[in-house]
Amino acid sequence: MLSRIKHFFDTFLLTELVRGMSMTGRYFFARKITVQYPEERAPQSPRFRGLHAQRRYPNGEERCIACKLCEAVCPALAIQIESEQRADGTRRTTRYDIDLTKCIFCGFCEEACPVDAIVETRVYEYHGEKRGDLYYTKEMLLAVGDKYEAQIAQDRAADARYR
Amino acid sequence: MRHGGQAFLELGKPNNGGTKIFSVSGHVNKPGNYEVGLGTPFAELLAMAGGVRSGHKLKAVIPGGSSAPVLPGEVMMDLTMDFDSIAKAGSMLGSGAVIVMDDSVCMVKALERLAYFYFEESCGQCTPCREGTGWMYRVVHRIEHGEGRPEDLDLLMSVGDNIAGRTICALGDAAVGPVQSFIKHFRQEFEYHIEHKKCLVGA
Amino acid sequence: MPHIEIDGKTIEVAPGATLMDAANQAGIFIPHFCYHKKLSIAANCRMCLVEVEKAPKPLPACATPVTEGMKVRTHSAKAVAAQKGVMELLLINHPLDCPICDQGGECQLQDLAVGYGASASRYAEPKRVVREKDLGPLIATDMTRCIHCSRCVRFSQEIAGRMELGMVHRGEHTEVMPFLEQQMHSELSGNVIDLCPVGALTSKPFRYSARTWELSRRKSISPHDGLGANLQLHTKDNRVYRVVPQENEAINECWLADRDRYAYEALNSEERLTRPMVRDGDKWIEVDWQKALNQAAGALRVLRDTHGGNALAALASPHQTLEELHLLQKLMRGLGSGRIEHRLGQADFSGDAKRQGVTWLGMPIAELNQLQRVLLIGATLRKEQPLIAQRLRQAVKFGAQLNVLHAADDDLYCRVANKLIVKPSAWVNALAQVAKALQEAGASLPAELAGQLNDITVSDSARAIAASLNTGERKALLLGAVAQNHPAAAQLHQLVAAIAAACGAKLGFLSPAANSVGAQLVGVQSGPVALDAKGYLLLGVEPELDAHNGPELLKALQAAECVVALTAFKGRVMDYADVVLPIAPFSETAGSFVNMEGRLQSFHAAVTPQGEARPAWKVLRVLGNLFNLAGFEQNSAEEVRQEALPQGEAGIAARLDNAIHGVALALQPPGAGIERLGEVPIYQLDPLVRRAPALQQTQDARDAACAWASGALIQRLNLIDGEHVRVRQAGAEAVLRLCRDDRLPDDVLRVAAAHPLTAGLAGRFGAISVEAV
Repeated sequence: MLSRIKHFFDTFLLTELVRGMSMTGRYFFARKITVQYPEERAPQSPRFRGLHAQRRYPNGEERCIACKLCEAVCPALAIQIESEQRADGTRRTTRYDIDLTKCIFCGFCEEACPVDAIVETRVYEYHGEKRGDLYYTKEMLLAVGDKYEAQIAQDRAADARYR
Repeated sequence: MRHGGQAFLELGKPNNGGTKIFSVSGHVNKPGNYEVGLGTPFAELLAMAGGVRSGHKLKAVIPGGSSAPVLPGEVMMDLTMDFDSIAKAGSMLGSGAVIVMDDSVCMVKALERLAYFYFEESCGQCTPCREGTGWMYRVVHRIEHGEGRPEDLDLLMSVGDNIAGRTICALGDAAVGPVQSFIKHFRQEFEYHIEHKKCLVGA
Repeated sequence: MPHIEIDGKTIEVAPGATLMDAANQAGIFIPHFCYHKKLSIAANCRMCLVEVEKAPKPLPACATPVTEGMKVRTHSAKAVAAQKGVMELLLINHPLDCPICDQGGECQLQDLAVGYGASASRYAEPKRVVREKDLGPLIATDMTRCIHCSRCVRFSQEIAGRMELGMVHRGEHTEVMPFLEQQMHSELSGNVIDLCPVGALTSKPFRYSARTWELSRRKSISPHDGLGANLQLHTKDNRVYRVVPQENEAINECWLADRDRYAYEALNSEERLTRPMVRDGDKWIEVDWQKALNQAAGALRVLRDTHGGNALAALASPHQTLEELHLLQKLMRGLGSGRIEHRLGQADFSGDAKRQGVTWLGMPIAELNQLQRVLLIGATLRKEQPLIAQRLRQAVKFGAQLNVLHAADDDLYCRVANKLIVKPSAWVNALAQVAKALQEAGASLPAELAGQLNDITVSDSARAIAASLNTGERKALLLGAVAQNHPAAAQLHQLVAAIAAACGAKLGFLSPAANSVGAQLVGVQSGPVALDAKGYLLLGVEPELDAHNGPELLKALQAAECVVALTAFKGRVMDYADVVLPIAPFSETAGSFVNMEGRLQSFHAAVTPQGEARPAWKVLRVLGNLFNLAGFEQNSAEEVRQEALPQGEAGIAARLDNAIHGVALALQPPGAGIERLGEVPIYQLDPLVRRAPALQQTQDARDAACAWASGALIQRLNLIDGEHVRVRQAGAEAVLRLCRDDRLPDDVLRVAAAHPLTAGLAGRFGAISVEAV
C-alpha cells in the first residue's frame, strides 16, 4: 500500500530525475580534472617513461658499451644490437635499433643498463608519418639524447636517491 | 747429547721437556737469544733480557713469532714459557721469537706492519690468503691513517674467519692470528683510531 | 673398491679416485675453478672445499683421495660457509667488467657467484690492476680479471707441451704472463680460451662481437685435417661468429687446434664467391645459375664429343664432402672420363697399383695414447696434426718411445728416443737401414726385400730405432704428409710395411685432409694429375698451391680449352677458369667426412649459403641432369651418402687396408747438394685456412714465408741470416727471407709448399739452390 503511494508521488514529482540531475549538477559545478591539452600538460614524474634516448658522458663519449643487457631483458624483443671492437680498442655498438612499435615502454632496458646509456625521457610528443619512422636507429637515439640531455640529467638526479 | 735424551727432557716441565732458545726482541734493554728450560716463567725471561726499557711499562707480548696471537702484558707476566701454558692462554709458543711491546707502541700501527708482512709474503697460490691478506692489510691501513669505519673491526674478524682453515698452507692461518688477536685484546685502541682518527698512544 | 657416503648417498668408487671424481660419479656438482678433468690437480682455487666428517678443516674435493667409509657433505653449513667465503675473496679484486667482458653469460665466476656466493659485496677498498699481455693475434687478454686458477699454465705445460705461460711474482702481485714478453706460439693455444673460467683470456677475432645467449649452436665437423675434430659452430643471423670444440673423447677429446678454431673467419671473407660467373674475354660477367650451368655443360660436352671422355679431367680437394666427391666421380665416369684425382700434392703414384685398399691410420685415434713404440716417418707432426701430436705426447709421458725419421729435427715438445734426420732423398736408404738392423736382430723380412739390403750399411741411429721397435708390445709406424708426398712414396710405404710386419707394429697413414679416406672410398683417384686434358672440372681446389708442381699444372690449366671451377672463393682460379660456380663451404652444406680412423661423421648446414652459392653436391647433380646421365635424381645429401656407401659405416672398415706389395726398391745413394724440404704449412692447408686473417698473422704463418737453413749451411754459402735470398729449383725461382734453424741438416733447405711466395717453384722436393739477392 505504502509503495503504491510512493510510486504515485515518484511518477508526478519526477524523483529519479531530480536525483539524477542533482548528480549531474554536482559534477557540473565541481572542479574539472580534465587537462586542457595542448595548453595544459599533465604533471609528469621524473620517472616518466617516454621516448628513448642514448646518452653520452659529459666529455662527449657515448655511454653505451654494447653489453646487450637491454636487448636480453627487453620483454618485447624490440632492441637489436650489433657490436664490434672500435679502432681505439673500446667496445661499441655498430647497430643499436629500437623498434618503437614493438616497445612496451616498460623501462626494463633503462633499469638493466649498467652505465645509464639507454634511458626513457619525458618526451611523449613525437610521431612517425610513414612506415619505418618509428624504428629508431642509433643515430636517432643519440640525437634524442643530445637534444634532451639537460632534462634527462635533471630527472635522473631527482630520482637518484631511489635507484 | 752428552747426557742423553731423557736428561734433556727432564729439564723443563712434564710434556714440555728440554730447553728452548728464545729470541727476545722489542722494547727490552738486552734483546738477544736466551736459552732457558721450558717452563721458565716469562717474568724470569724478561728479567734475563734486561726488563722493559726504563720509563716504560709492558703492554703486550707476542710469545712465538709474528703468527702467534698477541697477549696483553699482564696476562703474559703470569705465564710460564712452555707450550701448554701459552696455549691455554690462547696463543702459541711457536718459534720462540718473543716480541715485547711497551706502552709506546700503537697496537694499530703494529698490526699494520704485521698485516703488511703477510700481504707481501703470501705466495699467491690459493685464493683466501692471496686475496684476504690484501684485504686485511688495506682495512688496517685505513684505520691507522684515520679513514676507519665503525664496521671495520667486525669486518676484519669476519674476513679472518673466511681465510683461516681454508688455505693450502699455514701462512693463511698465520696471517689471521695477529689480526684477530690484536682486535680481541686491544679493541678499544682500534675503536679510538676509528672514532678520533688518531692514535690513542702519544707519538 | 672403497665406499664413501656423499650427501647421504653411498657409492662405490675406484681406488685412488678423488672426492671430485666421486661427486661426478654420484651426479653431485661441487663448485670449482682450477680443477679440470684433463689437467693435473692444483687445488689452489679452494672453491671445492667440502666438509668431511672427522676432518678439522674443510678439504678440497679435487685433491682429497677417497678412503673407505668417508662421510662427505657438500651442502652442510661448514661447506656452504667455505664456498661463500672463498667466492667473496675471489670477487674482491675482480674488476666490475661484466658488461664489457666477452665471457659474460658463459662465465664460470658469474654462474658460481650466483649459485654459491653472497648477494652483496663488503669490499670497499681499491682493487688491484694488472697490465695487459700480448699473447698474439688469437688470444685477447684482460689479465685484471684473472683469478689465478693456473689452468692456462698447466695446459701449456702438460697438453701443449711447452710452458709458454707462467705465474710470476707472489701474493696479490701474482700475474700470469708469457715468458719474456713473447706471444703464445703453440698450435693449440686457442684452448686456453675454453679453459679460462673468467674473461681474462678470450678470443681476439671474436672480441666484442656477440653475446653467448644470442648465438645458436650447430654441430659440425672440421674440414681441415684428417682428425675430423668435432666442432660447435656458433651462429647468429646466418653468420658463423665463432667455433668451439664439441667434446668427443675418441677424436679430439675437449680440445681444438687453432686451425680448426679460427678458420671460420674465412667463411665471412670478402673473397667469397657468391654469384656464378662466366668469362667474356678478359672480363667476368655475373650470370644466373641456369646460364652458367648450361655454358659449363655445353663446353664440356663439346670437348667430350670431339675428343672423347678422357679429354676431360677432374681435380678435387680432399676437403670436400663425401657426397660431393661421390657425385663428381660419378659425373666424370658417366662422361667417359677416368681421370679424377684428389692427391694433387702427391709426386709418386707408382704405388697405386700395388696397394690393396684405402690407406688410413691403421687404428682408432684413441689407441694412439696407448702406444709404447712409435716411428714417425716424414711427418712435421705438430703442424700437420696438432692433436695427434698431443696424443703422442701423452703416450710419451707414460713411457712410450718415440722415434723419428725426418729431414728436420722438429721439436715435438716431448722426449724423442731416437732420430734419423737426413735429407728426403736419403729416406729410402734410411728405412732400408732400419729394416736391415731388424733383420740382423733376427726379424724376418719379405724375400724380395731381404735380398736387396746387402749393400746397406746400418748407421747407429737406424740400429737404435730398430732396437726400440724390437721391444714393447703396442707399436705403430706412422707415415706423415711429407712422406706421402715424397717422390719415392711407394718405396717408403713398401719399406715401412715390411718393417711393421717384422717387428709386429701397426702401419698407419696420417691422413692429411679431412676426407682423404673418404675420397679414396668413393674412387676419386686415378693416378698422376692429368696435364693434357682439354677440359678441367675443379672442385674446391686451388691448383697453383695444392699441386706438387704448381707451375706445371697451372700451365696445363691455362692451355686447356675449358676450365669449370666449383669453388667457394675467388682467387687465382679467376685467371684461367672459364666458368666459376659458387659452392657452399662445409658450414653451409650437409655432408660427411670420413676421418683417418675410418669413422664416418655427418653434419648438417649451420647457416644458409651466401648469395647464390649452392651446396656442391646439388651443383654436380644438376650437371649430371644436364648431361642426361642416369642416377642423378637424389633429393638429399643423405640419399647421396647412401649411394656412396651402400653398407654405411660398416662397409668402410672392410675396405681399409694399408698393405702394399711388389714395389721394387731403387736404393740409390742420396743426391749431393742441397735438397728442398717442402711441406704444406699449418695455415696453408686448404682454401678456408688460407683466408683466415687471424691465423695468417701468427708466427707459424710468418715462418712459412721464410726459407730455413742451418747455421752451418748459411755460413757455407756465405749468406746472411735475416736477409732475402733467391731460391732456385728446376728453372723456377722465388725470393724469400732467410731464417736460421739449426735443427735442419746441413744439406736441407726448408721452403714451404702451397704458399703464395713459393707457388712458382716446381716440385716440393729435389735439388734446390740458394743465393743472396
